Amino acid sequence: MAADASERRILVGAVAGAHGVRGEVKIKSFTEQVRDVAAYGPVEDESGTRRFAIKIRGEAKGLVIASLDGVADRNAAEALKGLRLYVPRAALGKKPKRAPKGTDRWFVADLVGLAAVDTQGAALGTVKNVANYGAGDILEVTTPTGDTQLFAFTKRTVPEVDIANGRVVIDPPVEVEAKEDGSDE
Amino acid sequence: MARAVWKGPFVDGYLLKKAEKSRASGRNEIIKIWARRSTVLPQFVGLTFGVYNGHKFLPVLVTENMVGHKFGEFSPTRTFAGHTATGGGDKSAERK
Repeated sequence: MAADASERRILVGAVAGAHGVRGEVKIKSFTEQVRDVAAYGPVEDESGTRRFAIKIRGEAKGLVIASLDGVADRNAAEALKGLRLYVPRAALGKKPKRAPKGTDRWFVADLVGLAAVDTQGAALGTVKNVANYGAGDILEVTTPTGDTQLFAFTKRTVPEVDIANGRVVIDPPVEVEAKEDGSDE
Repeated sequence: MARAVWKGPFVDGYLLKKAEKSRASGRNEIIKIWARRSTVLPQFVGLTFGVYNGHKFLPVLVTENMVGHKFGEFSPTRTFAGHTATGGGDKSAERK
């Protein structure tokens, strides 16, 4: 992992602009549920110097309307446009709170950057991203040569996820081709 | 115009054979296919297909609620990088 979990910060939203004349702002939320941008306590700016408590006032066109602590008028709200909002990684908790019991779920932010090794312990690369195109999550692993390999995020293909030690064990599936002429492999 | 019901769902025949063979082998296999037009059938549930999108084979683990859809629906051919930074927010991934 790039940094220790205690010092890492997660981007949860960005100020899209001012709303009204009372200092409210429009926030583009990057959380699974848009209102969860305020669910993890006060947010910080990129440098970590300014902190804001968020109070959600409503939603409009996919954006959250909120008031921030210490922002009282429109001019102050407009000055925040483009500000990225972060929370400490520790504020998210160990596991996603909406995960149903008995399911194996991890934060994507925790998976990205893990070292990928095969069942023998040989390095396969680094997890670059976790994608989902409607058929389950896919781990994108960048190999040392710079190529990208895709693995279905299943118990069979990824038998072990070890966040503490910063690695995932991948058992690469055997690739077989189904060709129109019926020939094998 | 919708496809006539009497014809049944369209599926490339060789996929059925390959799926049967893969299931019988019991190995952790990914079946690489180009047949994006084929319908996902109940026989495919539990198997993993690598569906070609013109660039690479995206792994598609077939589940029950994908039955009736086409393979191509799960392997987009155009890339949308998104507005969020990679791994941003509290998004989670589920291991099935």
